[in-house]
Amino acid sequence: MRPPRGRGGGGGGFRGRGDGGRGRGRGGGGGRGGDRGSGMKPRGGGRGGHGGGRGRGGGRGGMKGGSKVIVEPHRHEGVFVAKGKEDALVTKNMVPGEAVYNEKRIAVQNEDGTKVEYRVWNPFRSKLAAAILGGVDNIWIKPGAKVLYLGAASGTTVSHVSDVVGPTGVVYAVEFSHRSGRDLVNMAKKRTNVIPIIEDARHPSKYRMLVGMVDVIFSDVAQPDQARILALNASYFLKAGGHFVISIKANCIDSTVPAEAVFQSEVKKLQQEQFKPFEQVTLEPFERDHACVVGGYRMPKKQKAGQ
Amino acid sequence: MSSLRNAISRRAHRERAQPSSRKKFGLLEKHKDYVVRAKAFHKKEETLRRLKEKAALRNPDEFYFQMIKTRTVDGVHKPESQANKYTQEELMLMKTQDIGYILQKMQSEKKKIEKLTAVLHCVDNQPSNRHIYYAEDRQEARELHSQSSESRTPPSSDDIPDHIKRKTATSYRELEARKSRVNELEKIYMEMSLKKELQKKGRKRKLREDELICPTSKPVYKWRSERKR
Repeated sequence: MRPPRGRGGGGGGFRGRGDGGRGRGRGGGGGRGGDRGSGMKPRGGGRGGHGGGRGRGGGRGGMKGGSKVIVEPHRHEGVFVAKGKEDALVTKNMVPGEAVYNEKRIAVQNEDGTKVEYRVWNPFRSKLAAAILGGVDNIWIKPGAKVLYLGAASGTTVSHVSDVVGPTGVVYAVEFSHRSGRDLVNMAKKRTNVIPIIEDARHPSKYRMLVGMVDVIFSDVAQPDQARILALNASYFLKAGGHFVISIKANCIDSTVPAEAVFQSEVKKLQQEQFKPFEQVTLEPFERDHACVVGGYRMPKKQKAGQ
Repeated sequence: MSSLRNAISRRAHRERAQPSSRKKFGLLEKHKDYVVRAKAFHKKEETLRRLKEKAALRNPDEFYFQMIKTRTVDGVHKPESQANKYTQEELMLMKTQDIGYILQKMQSEKKKIEKLTAVLHCVDNQPSNRHIYYAEDRQEARELHSQSSESRTPPSSDDIPDHIKRKTATSYRELEARKSRVNELEKIYMEMSLKKELQKKGRKRKLREDELICPTSKPVYKWRSERKR
């Protein structure tokens, strides 16, 4: 004889129900146990159990009452705005569960229970984000675009550009420094659409075999001859009618003249190299004496033909 | 039984008050008030008795260091002044520790601000920067001008629920509060470090009003340049 165990054993609480009740109770318990066992199997297998858990979470939280953050698309394609405790520019994380530079991640649940993760795009660390918040009309970097990124550094902005272009786009990230290039390569290991190139952007012929024709060139090299570097790369890789985004740090080009004059002279230089600037924004609250110029390359002269 | 007894209203007995003729003596004292007063009196009495006893049994040859450290002025005992309790070095050390604490708080506060600004971008606000459009000819310029004036309307965010708006507002408030706190701390830090520098060696003098290059309400000091070996 074993001592009675558990609930079915007929402790004080069960005595009142009588024998029949006790028997039924035990049977029910068995059924429950069986259920639980079947539930365990897929959980042991991996994702099945997790999915179930998520579904339950979605039912409880819902979008109506409990959601703590709302993510809505920004004017620019592929960029989003998260509202909640934070009020931030975000991009959809290509590698959920991973942060690149310890930025904050925001997970949002869809109506169908699937989770989407977004990463906060810090405008103090990324000039592209600063330009977007500065109200630039078009960044031309959109889902599916092929982007050549000059001056990738550790790949903080590159990771966001890779989020924006998505799995159908490509980012060629060029960086000269080996030290920061190491971080860039590590980042690119997890992102299939980033191709890191540790080369000097002044010599595009060295990496011409790696890079195809691109739609957009983003340049953040902060060198006195950055207009020339951009022109050289554009002549190799940028398609006719493609676009460029260049961030200009006035101090890096000429620290003796006012920033506005530096921006103007740089735009002049670009215009001589078949670039047609569309707009220019200063990155004021985030960077001092920086400007971002957006424009096109070898644009067709359709307006003249129309008249 | 008792409920029946309670049903009959009983007469309320009120406490005796001070007769109006003796109003000037205040409230009428009751026994319990007397007990408190008497206890206090006896305690004082006992203390006095003990002190008298001590004085009577005093050893006239007894020596205490207090006797030579402190003095009596006109028969009144004056305790030692606390002002110069610490040496100059000790004072300096304490001051630097205070400054260190302020500095630490300031740095931690700055870190928090950095973290907050990383996720608070004022997305809805109008950007305060310069936005230049490039046009090839006059007609394009005119088009751009009309376009830009149309598109300058701020993006409306009406579909955001109230509780989220409230959260965002709270975050912005926190950021503002922290920024003002850092300002205060910076001011305090400057003042403290100036005081510390003034206590150090080195000849210096306060600049007069007319000597200031950029006038402030704060005092400005100038140190004599010292030849270093």
